Amino acid sequence: MNLNKNNCIFILCLFLNYILLAQTVKSDSTEIKQLDEVVITATRTIRQLSSLPLPVQIISKKDIESSNSIRLSDILNEQTGLITVPDYGGGEGIQLQGLDSQYTLILIDGVPLIGRSAGTLDITRLTVGNIKQIEVVKGASSSLYGSEALGGVINIITENPKKGLNGDINYRLGAYNTHDLNTLISYKKKKIGISTFINRYSSNGYDLDDDVTLKTVEPYSNYTFNSKLTYDISKKTKILLSGRYYTQNQDYVASEELKGESNINEWNARFKISHNYNKKWSSNFDLYTTRYIAKEYLDSISTGSRYSDSNYDQVLIRPEFRVAYHVNNKNSFIGGIGLNHETLDRDDFTEKPIFNSPYIYAQYDANPTDKLNLIIGARFDSHNKYKSQFSPKTAIRYQLSNKLAIKSSIGYGYKAPDFRQLYFDFTNATVGYTVLGYNAVATAIPELEAQGEISSIIVPISEFDSELKPESSVSINLGIDYTFNSKLTSTINFFRNNISNLIDTRVIANKTNGQNVYSYYNVNNVYTEGLEFNLKWNPTKNLKILGGYQLLYAKDKDAKEAFNNGEVYARDNNNSSFQLQKDDYYGLYNRSRHMSNLKIFYNIPKYKTDANIRTTYRSKYGLTDSNGNTYLDNYDDFVNGYCILDFSINKTFYKNYKLGFGIDNLFNFTDPDNITNIPGKLIYGKLKIHF
Amino acid sequence: MKTIRTIQLVLTFGLFLAFTSCDNNDDTDNSSSEAVESNTVTNLQATQSADYTTSPATITGDYIRFSFDSGSTTTGDDWDVAFRGTTILVNGGEATSDDEPERTGDAGIYIASGTLASITEVNTELFEVDSATDGLAITTGSDNGWYTYDSTTHIISPIAGKIIVVKTTTGTYAKFEITSYYEDGEANEDLSNSQYYSFNYVYQPNEGETSFE
Repeated sequence: MNLNKNNCIFILCLFLNYILLAQTVKSDSTEIKQLDEVVITATRTIRQLSSLPLPVQIISKKDIESSNSIRLSDILNEQTGLITVPDYGGGEGIQLQGLDSQYTLILIDGVPLIGRSAGTLDITRLTVGNIKQIEVVKGASSSLYGSEALGGVINIITENPKKGLNGDINYRLGAYNTHDLNTLISYKKKKIGISTFINRYSSNGYDLDDDVTLKTVEPYSNYTFNSKLTYDISKKTKILLSGRYYTQNQDYVASEELKGESNINEWNARFKISHNYNKKWSSNFDLYTTRYIAKEYLDSISTGSRYSDSNYDQVLIRPEFRVAYHVNNKNSFIGGIGLNHETLDRDDFTEKPIFNSPYIYAQYDANPTDKLNLIIGARFDSHNKYKSQFSPKTAIRYQLSNKLAIKSSIGYGYKAPDFRQLYFDFTNATVGYTVLGYNAVATAIPELEAQGEISSIIVPISEFDSELKPESSVSINLGIDYTFNSKLTSTINFFRNNISNLIDTRVIANKTNGQNVYSYYNVNNVYTEGLEFNLKWNPTKNLKILGGYQLLYAKDKDAKEAFNNGEVYARDNNNSSFQLQKDDYYGLYNRSRHMSNLKIFYNIPKYKTDANIRTTYRSKYGLTDSNGNTYLDNYDDFVNGYCILDFSINKTFYKNYKLGFGIDNLFNFTDPDNITNIPGKLIYGKLKIHF
Repeated sequence: MKTIRTIQLVLTFGLFLAFTSCDNNDDTDNSSSEAVESNTVTNLQATQSADYTTSPATITGDYIRFSFDSGSTTTGDDWDVAFRGTTILVNGGEATSDDEPERTGDAGIYIASGTLASITEVNTELFEVDSATDGLAITTGSDNGWYTYDSTTHIISPIAGKIIVVKTTTGTYAKFEITSYYEDGEANEDLSNSQYYSFNYVYQPNEGETSFE
């Protein structure tokens, strides 16, 4: 690990040295024009990034392109405080401010993606080929977005049709027989705009461990189709129609004997009409519908018969009406009213659940003085299956001087219990344990009892009479923006998320086969806290250096208490128990205390070439309780910290052609035992044609 | 481990000699107390088999009976605890199914939190017995009793800090800590060396004496 870390540092220094040397010769000192980027996710209105009272990150198309990223996971992994964590289902979810993937809402153009079969939303599903910008809002944002926006929101803004006829073809060929081909064609003339995007991505997968018969990632291929149609009925009334279809096919291999396929089909369709009544009033109506279907099967090779089948089919329909009232330059309001209608058809469920959740929200955005910005918002979600939620939020930013601004926000976030936590009724065929959703307990336990499968009840059924509470959090962010000069800016943000009613599983009954019946319940109170630091430095017009660091403590309050009370033990080399001390509690699984990144982008206009080196570091983290005391402590086995260094170079020919070359994971870092989502060194070439 | 055992044997033998020689000098005190014994049992095989073609699965296999008084396994009724798979029985109360040995004794059992050294005193109020209605005194299942089961790796790990305290059929007390469920202390790749108990125990041979010190 140390070797790997040192390698990263060494190469970075070399690169920097070379560039700085080149710079001094050129003595290029043109002033850099700071572009002020705009954000839509943080307030649901268009706002300048620099004026926002909330912690927000923007990833531009330019950065995505020069990094030669192909999937959303590639680019998000390089951002401060974000890391993708592989799920045992095979996908990758995003961890944000130390919170699991299920607590971050993922949007495409402001509407949510669905398909969290086990809580994780697999972000490798998303291609970056047609992305205009990615916006990351940290801190609870349920006041605008409702459920799931507990840790934050990631909004993927895709390209809109541009004037005239435009087209791009991108092809990237890389190791592991990875092909990524995408084309975006857009046309806009007067009132009509239309764009079509097609992406095909395929890979042979990879195998980190040669000993086993199964591959780490089995071969797969997927397609994304995305189309947009914009029509301006008049200067004041505009229509948007858009559709997206994603399909993936992957080999599913459980053993040499059991083989099959897993298929994902996802689509969404959207109709939006917006109208400006006058300078002060505008409104829009948005009808969004999406469906996610995942199917898996395994066949027995020797008998040729079907061994298992699984099916997951989720639908979301969401009409929403929004109004914006722009009182004057200093005061504005937005409000919205809508309904989430959600259904799920899934194996091992007691019923086909239907969620209906009407909601209403409002937000006031004020600038009492030039230096002060204040945002107050709240949302109310009513629900037919769990407790209704009221989510307020307030944020404030004060510009102390030209160089210094402070900002602070406090908000409530929640995540509704998902279908699985309520309706699951699953018995493991080989081991024999049973998992029941909270609402399934009352009917399933008496049935098991009648079949003579229950030996004793641990938690009485009456405890399941009251509703399961949504997981909720209060998040606090306190940040300072400091501008040293036009070339060097920095932000620091302190965060704390207090999460209550975290849903966990517990044993509710013992079975006669010696196994348990598990169900979900509100138990844990956990917190994540830390700080995030970002630095942006443009020493010259053609050189950009970005650095970021996150410090994180993520802990369970009950676990902390148990350590404080001396109730936790570990084993020494002779397997004898000894008592653990207060400081021995490490925290939640899969959280690194330190994460950092350093990215250097260098542009050589003379040769129409840009090059960059990007490196990310993650300190050690625990994956399992290896010493059997149910807590992660300093005596457990940890996954070693690691550093990944990516390099890429792009050159433009004849104006419309661009050739790229790069190596991801230059030092070929792998950890087959613990990390399944990092393949070894990946060399690729890329061609882009613009017309 | 063997050397430790040998040392322990020599020590016990030595102590025995010392006490017997004491007895010779002092004929009046026949009930002079015996020393507390510390010992280790390794690789006690307690295999169970499961037939999953029936529902629920049929579990078979002999319960391996252990007596703290003799410090060894037994096939008679003088057992204190018995092992099969992850299940632990106590020779007190009543059988919970037909294939269990009959409870002939009035032994009791409970799980205390601590280290083997830190549990110095027996709390006689905590003893429980097996019951046909309330189940086994040492409850089965992951994290219910003495072990956790990892559903990903399928490894059974004894929970650190769980000391099992036993009232034996002869009215003496013992405490033991399970250190491994796998032969030679470590699970092999296909987990085929499971169902081998290793444990450290301390036996207080003096009847009714609740202190382990």
